[in-house]
Amino acid sequence: MHMKKLMALAVAGLMSTTFSGSVAAQPINDNQLSDPRVRQAIAYAIDMDTIAETIFEGQAVPAVGMLPDGPNKPTDLEPYAYNPDKARELLAEAGWDSNRVLDVVYYYTDQQTADLMAAIQAYLADVGIQMNYRLLEGDIGSQISVVPDDPVNGPSKVTWDMLYGARAALALQEYFNRYAYGLKPMIPNIPRMNELVAKVNGTTDPEVQREGYFEMEHIINENVYQIPLYYQQLFTYESDRLNRNGAPYGNEQYNYDWAVETWTIEPDASGKGVLYTNAGPAQFFEVPWQNLGIWVHNKFAFDTILEADGTLTPIGGELADTYSVSEDGLTFTFTLKDGLTWHDGEPITVDDVVFSIGAALKFPITQPVLQATLKKIEGAEAYVAGEADTLAGVTTEGNTVTIKFASIDPNVLLSFSQFAPLPARHFEGVDPLNLQQAPFWQKPIGSGPFKIDEVVMNDYTTLVPFEGYHKGTPKIEQIIARPSSDNDGNLLVNATAGKADFGYTKSAADVPGLEALDFMNIHPIDIPYTRMLWINQFEHPAN
Amino acid sequence: MLTYIIRRVLILIPMAFAICFLVYLGLELTPGDAVSHMINPDALGSMNADQLEALRQSLGLGQPFYVRFWAWFTNLIQGNFGYSMNGGVPIGSIIATRLPATLELAAVALVFSTVLGCLLGVVSALSRGSRTDNVLTVIGMLGVSIPEFFFGLVAILVFALNLGWFPVGGRSMPGYMTLWDRLPHLVLPSLVLSIMLTAGVMRYARSSMLDALSRDFIKTARSKGIPEWRVNLLHGFRVALTPVVVLIGFRLPVLIGGSVIIEQVFQWPGIGNEFISAVRSQDYPVVMTIALLSVMAVLLASLIVDILTAVIDPRVRLGE
Repeated sequence: MHMKKLMALAVAGLMSTTFSGSVAAQPINDNQLSDPRVRQAIAYAIDMDTIAETIFEGQAVPAVGMLPDGPNKPTDLEPYAYNPDKARELLAEAGWDSNRVLDVVYYYTDQQTADLMAAIQAYLADVGIQMNYRLLEGDIGSQISVVPDDPVNGPSKVTWDMLYGARAALALQEYFNRYAYGLKPMIPNIPRMNELVAKVNGTTDPEVQREGYFEMEHIINENVYQIPLYYQQLFTYESDRLNRNGAPYGNEQYNYDWAVETWTIEPDASGKGVLYTNAGPAQFFEVPWQNLGIWVHNKFAFDTILEADGTLTPIGGELADTYSVSEDGLTFTFTLKDGLTWHDGEPITVDDVVFSIGAALKFPITQPVLQATLKKIEGAEAYVAGEADTLAGVTTEGNTVTIKFASIDPNVLLSFSQFAPLPARHFEGVDPLNLQQAPFWQKPIGSGPFKIDEVVMNDYTTLVPFEGYHKGTPKIEQIIARPSSDNDGNLLVNATAGKADFGYTKSAADVPGLEALDFMNIHPIDIPYTRMLWINQFEHPAN
Repeated sequence: MLTYIIRRVLILIPMAFAICFLVYLGLELTPGDAVSHMINPDALGSMNADQLEALRQSLGLGQPFYVRFWAWFTNLIQGNFGYSMNGGVPIGSIIATRLPATLELAAVALVFSTVLGCLLGVVSALSRGSRTDNVLTVIGMLGVSIPEFFFGLVAILVFALNLGWFPVGGRSMPGYMTLWDRLPHLVLPSLVLSIMLTAGVMRYARSSMLDALSRDFIKTARSKGIPEWRVNLLHGFRVALTPVVVLIGFRLPVLIGGSVIIEQVFQWPGIGNEFISAVRSQDYPVVMTIALLSVMAVLLASLIVDILTAVIDPRVRLGE
């Protein structure tokens, strides 16, 4: 064991020496956190393997690099394996002021995060760095995202030294887009990163994107602009009563081909096939453009234009029968399937789709990747500004919708695999700005495999099979959704009582209790969700 | 009496206004607003600040707080509770759906705890120093000392999960039409809510009864040869009831405000649960309306207690 550790330390030391050649080992201002040696020291000082095994009870994967494992991440990144001696050495070299007390902030309210903060505090203290930590409350955005007036020299407008947060991505560009000029609250402008962000966003060629991701990962890794801590997994839980009949698993936070219409469930005592789930609505159904597939009941109730697989790779049409993207990547065309209807029997038309695209563009909290795609449609700016009544880039003919983009968007297919149109006639007179406040969201009418039957807000919601569903009538006879959600004690209570046959949680704290139920099966799923530390390199006001 | 009641009702108005203003001010001083709670912090970095600001403006959050408070208040006195900021639901509708759930739970608990608490308190007082008295005193101490969420969790574990006699939570299930259908859902939360109330009433009733029984008029009654049960119940208990009524009266607001803890533990879709959700999401029209209802409930309970005290104890004359 000692030998293994020594070898690891030796390799780490060798690799870090290699890096020092490509990293300017000097602070760029009076803030010592602008010195890459200090940031490297912080990375070396934290033993994420032990934290993952203890605080997260093995339900977290220590991170190397920003991106989750896969073809878009280089394999030669420095892991910054736990090495307190190396950390002390780097701090001494950088002349670290041991009287300085770092202000570390976070915005998650769960106990594991508080425990993590305490652990990081202890690890840093061990190498001579003092820190205090505090929970951000209220308007989190103004405390973490506000950018400096001068993106090159600062000072930053945020008051903290380090921020613990996460990047939960639908598209990999999301990990890096904030490195574009003037968008980072805490990192000075990095010209090469600007170019690379433009590169991965300006092409649909996966090879070109991969080159960009590789280089950006290396730059961030070598300079420790951020410290990736761990990859968060998602856990699907299913009771023995449920049979997915071979349907695939995937990233449950988004829409994917989960073939729910083929699932079956063991009948209850009355002979009825009832599936219990959680996270039912407490006050209203959320517009499905904000958090896309995060609410199970929304996924039951709404279909999307295209369809993605479990890794969120677009694989075909859902409401669309056929689709194509022009060679220049600037025109996207799709044709709706014949005979589609909403749950109330009214036909799904291209007018519904056109309305929905326009409304999603104006809806202020549309998911950022989807919104970025929609904003590139020709005439989008004028439409949002109210200078045009229609979106110039969206035209229809028969059952076909053609969308022309002003510039290339790398995620057109991905975005439309997550985009669920809404029935336009239910939103007449509704300002898209206040779409969520429309009465429709008390009992929405969707297009998916199950239709909403009975809603008793904050008590239960029932869904029943949509007999006109275009992929075939679902086999489960009724779904009952209770409002308890992840990181909520009532989830485990409901599951223990047999009132949770299917659902998912991102909270590792829920897993041991669910695993202990002998009729419950847990499936961990890797998702693009990286928890990390941001380091404020600018000089900045004290909190 | 009538003059007194009218005067008290008129005093309620400025008091309710002042308390609502303070609640509004407290909410205003809390960092963030409704819009900041609509967005997952992980996604904040990618959101369009201009559009978020437009949303704030459309919800009226861009105005100074006193302007918003006055707008809320003037709407209120016109009978318009407004709309929830998060879901756009009319607040009148929210109250109409949540209040019956809370009333149902609290009314059962209040009746149960009043009857049982008084009964046990009287028994305890009449058997002062006996084993029964000691056992009831210990039970009373436990009842008021142990937090209700603990009783709730134990009740769920024993009676719902282990024995399977009752559901773990919720108020209803699909297909339930009547109160009888829902009764199994009501049993555990109402009993747990009753425990603390019962313990409190019992302790009050005991000490009040002991105090009454030591009075001279009780000795006089006994010396007149009145049967012991009449002395205890008609003379002693009637006097002992006065402070108990005060205690019960001040618990009436629970009927309106809901029991936040019990509603959370038992997933009960009542007003307390709604209030917590609204405070967390800074949905101030909902918070303010529920707060106003609670304030009015407290003030009215105080008035009712005064009136009942006068009815029970003829020595008390209101407004004199």
